[in-house]
Amino acid sequence: MSDPVIELRGVRLSLQSKAGVVDILRGVDLTVEKGETVGVVGPSGSGKSSLLMVMGGLERATGGEVKALGRDLTHLDEDALARFRRDHMGVVFQSFHLIPTMTALENVAAPLELAGDADAFDKARMELDGVGLGARLDHYPAQLSGGEQQRVALARAAAPEPSLLLADEPTGNLDGATGEAIIKLIFGLAERRGATVVMVTHDPGLAARCQRQVRVMDGLIDEGVGAPGAAQATPAAGAAA
Amino acid sequence: MRLSTAFAFARRELRGGLRSFRVFLACLALGVAGVAAVGSVVAAIEGGLSAKGRELLAADAAVELTYRFARPDERAELERLGQVSEAIDARGMARIDGDAAVVQLKAVDDLYPFYGEVVLDPPMPLTQALATDAEGRPGAVAEVALITRLGLEIGDPVSLGEQTFILRAALLSEPDKVVAGLGAFGPRFMIARGAAELTGLVQPGTLFETEYKIKLADGVALDTAKAQLLEQFGDAGWRWRDHRQGAPGVERVLSQLGAFLILVGLAALAVGGVGVGASVRAYLDGKTETIATLKTLGADGAMVTAVYLIQIGVLAVAGVALGVVLGAALPLIFADTLAARLPVPSAFGLYPEPLIEAAVYGLLAAFLFALWPLARAQQIRAAGLFRDLVAPEQRAPGLGFLVAMAALTGAITLAAVSFTGVATLSLGFIGGVAVALFALSAAAFGVGRLARSLARGRLGRGRLPIRLALSGVAGPDGSGGGETRGAVLALGLGLTVLAAIGLVDVNLRRLVADQLPERAPAYFVIDIQNADLPRFLDRVDGLDGVERVETAPMLRGLITRINGQTAEEWTEAGNIAEGYEWVLDGDRGVTYSDRPAEGTEVLEGAWWPEDYTGEPLVSFGEEQGKGIGLEIGDQITVNVLGRDVTARVANFRRVEFETGGINFLMVMDPNVLRGAPHVHIATLYGEEPQPGDYLRAVAAGFPSVTAIRVAEVIQRAEGVLLDVAAAARAGAVATLITGVVVLIGAAAAGQRRRIYDAAILKTLGATRWEVLSAMTLRSALLGLAAAVVALGAGAAAAWAVTWYAFEARFVFDWGTALLIVFGGVAATLATGALFAVGPLSARPARVLRSRE
Repeated sequence: MSDPVIELRGVRLSLQSKAGVVDILRGVDLTVEKGETVGVVGPSGSGKSSLLMVMGGLERATGGEVKALGRDLTHLDEDALARFRRDHMGVVFQSFHLIPTMTALENVAAPLELAGDADAFDKARMELDGVGLGARLDHYPAQLSGGEQQRVALARAAAPEPSLLLADEPTGNLDGATGEAIIKLIFGLAERRGATVVMVTHDPGLAARCQRQVRVMDGLIDEGVGAPGAAQATPAAGAAA
Repeated sequence: MRLSTAFAFARRELRGGLRSFRVFLACLALGVAGVAAVGSVVAAIEGGLSAKGRELLAADAAVELTYRFARPDERAELERLGQVSEAIDARGMARIDGDAAVVQLKAVDDLYPFYGEVVLDPPMPLTQALATDAEGRPGAVAEVALITRLGLEIGDPVSLGEQTFILRAALLSEPDKVVAGLGAFGPRFMIARGAAELTGLVQPGTLFETEYKIKLADGVALDTAKAQLLEQFGDAGWRWRDHRQGAPGVERVLSQLGAFLILVGLAALAVGGVGVGASVRAYLDGKTETIATLKTLGADGAMVTAVYLIQIGVLAVAGVALGVVLGAALPLIFADTLAARLPVPSAFGLYPEPLIEAAVYGLLAAFLFALWPLARAQQIRAAGLFRDLVAPEQRAPGLGFLVAMAALTGAITLAAVSFTGVATLSLGFIGGVAVALFALSAAAFGVGRLARSLARGRLGRGRLPIRLALSGVAGPDGSGGGETRGAVLALGLGLTVLAAIGLVDVNLRRLVADQLPERAPAYFVIDIQNADLPRFLDRVDGLDGVERVETAPMLRGLITRINGQTAEEWTEAGNIAEGYEWVLDGDRGVTYSDRPAEGTEVLEGAWWPEDYTGEPLVSFGEEQGKGIGLEIGDQITVNVLGRDVTARVANFRRVEFETGGINFLMVMDPNVLRGAPHVHIATLYGEEPQPGDYLRAVAAGFPSVTAIRVAEVIQRAEGVLLDVAAAARAGAVATLITGVVVLIGAAAAGQRRRIYDAAILKTLGATRWEVLSAMTLRSALLGLAAAVVALGAGAAAAWAVTWYAFEARFVFDWGTALLIVFGGVAATLATGALFAVGPLSARPARVLRSRE
């Protein structure tokens, strides 16, 4: 068996807020294997988005060990993390987060350009064709519907052909039919490219379509549901205190 | 990081247009335009002076001597260079029917002027106007000011000294007026060289100057001629000028005034920089999501910095270009008006140097002020996309940014020092602006905190408009951020400059106008012949109102050697402290006395006994003596009327030139100078019954004596001060206008928030009147805070200038203070009014729905 794509050991995350220190993750162990699709569920404020951020190196864990694709992210600085994401990860957000001053094509080309890919625009065009937006290349985000914006965001995340796709409530801002289309695209992409997908969602139906479900409660991982044996998800000793 | 990618991203960002950068562009353009315009005007004047170098001198070159004519050997050397024209410059009193006026006499020969033109009314050749008529009466021409003052008509006889002249024409212009006019005590009265001796004003010991104007013969090289002459006669008090620098005095004054105005322009640029910083911050605040997204997609900090630095660079170039065009165009548009008002020749045109100078300042300032917000933007983390409930991290900018900011500050300072050429002033000014910015920044924080505690205290309880206004001033985090900071910094810096200039101006004018006359004499009387002195004292003693008369022998001397070294060697050996070069530069007053004058304070050494007959001794002004490196016992050689006198420094005494009384740098023991031909000067203390009474009385009995009314000299000095102050105030107003633009920018940036606040207030039941009251009060408080802080900073700067530069006591002026406070409040109220309509007309439902 190849190395796991994600390995979290005793991960803690505490953030400073105006009201004081907030413990968001309180000792999480989690392993995600290559090619898996994992749905992360849990109530609002449980820490599931933070868990996703820690996996993506978007947030630095305040304790424990975070490994992605065999690389220890704990010791990488901000810039090294950015480059790691550029080369290995795609992220899809609930609020799309397209760059408003760039057209759909430019948004999708952006990560490829950052990686110095000479064919950035050709690849971006193909990617947008793939999500059905071949006719909307020169539209700015403000000229696109919510569903279209999320498809551009998905194309942007997929364009560099990442090994890991992280999605934070990708259908949260979309109506049912549009959301369904997006989910199909995500799963389709993962299947075609053999990418690992970790998806945060409120929707139990959507989570159930993943190979494995992980429930986050109060900064800890509840007993895993879904495909057994592929992962152990247990709170770190003493973390719940 | 790939630069081409950064450029591509920057271009995409800028594609949306420059709407959000209007304040950035306006601030930068205004600041640059000010500096460019001042520089262009100065360059135009320098251009005018240099293009008209020969006319300004009326010759190719000129040599000036004090109180003597050129000796035959000197004259022969001069004539080897080409044609030589001799002119005499002296002061005298023109008299007619019991009335008299001080004039600046100029006696010229037939060769004058070699270049340029003397314009007379009625038009006639100068030689004809000055010629002696059949009855033996020489002719004269006079400036209109004198003709009006004495009520003269063409053809009238006018007496000067012991000779009567016939006024033949009004002198409308003389080519070398700019050069001669600087030290003029009265209107010009021009006569023929041959008639000068007839007046009795030009004789050994009287105060006159001779000028030898030279028109070089073909093939004579200026530099060789100058070097040879100065080597041969430099010790004899020769002062050389040539057409390449026709008016060195004017140029020096001009370049100093220009440097000062450019520095005031830099203050405007600093205010503009605050605006640049604020608009970059506002822009980047709106880009938080984009930056976080870029970081999620894999952009590192350097890439983010590069993307926004490129945008700032493009905008800075645009703003600077706009400013340069404005700054170049304004003087051209007003060229005719300016040329007519300037007392010196000018040649308006496009001068690249001042424009490049302004552009350099502009670019450096834009980057300097943009770097801080950029450093903060670089720290935005990708995680920001997920959450905003957690307080953002406030870290100091990285080392790279700090080094870059320090380097830019250094570069601006270096540029200012090298462009203006006045190191101390530049360093002081830039240091002052930096300190003011820090102080204002701290004050903004303090004002914010104060407003917050007041809002929470009893003052705000139950008084919604007051509480709203105070919390508006306190800012979102209670530290005077946002608009408060912008207003206090930008408006405050503008008002600081205005307050400082206003207070210095008031103090200087007080120094000249109020303090001086209390102790100053009513008249200075010069050129009293030795033989006339007893009769003169008799005459003035009997005049109404004269309280006291002081007289002293008056000689002038040039210090040529110190302890055996020539003045040049002494200077080169580094003995002269900065600011005391003038002591050795030219003729200085010398007198003799057997005892110290009343009130003299001997600080070091001892005065000689009354019957002293030994080695020549000299008493030296303490400050000036030490300034040129003298010590008690040193030997100085002074050239008095062509004769070298070597004396030993016996003591140092306090010399206060400011009192307006008789004061000499050097007092020698009587034995040394008593025998030399000399005149006396006198000061008359008291109040004359009618202005000019003493002048007429002296003129009637002593034709060769010149009496100068001190009040007129003071008026003239005040006039110069007023002109300089007006120019400086214009610069300060430009600073203030830039400040108001920044204020408008800050208000515009806060507009959405104010509309939202107003919508909420209205939802809660506030009337429009209450909303308006809160906004007005908030504006007024902001202006008041900025003005009070500015007043403190301005007063500190003015105190430093008055105390250190002018060594005078500083007096706070409440008139200026009130004006500053009023100006500050008016500026913020006016800006507030500009943006009042939006919040007042806000429809709560619409505003709040659009926020969801």
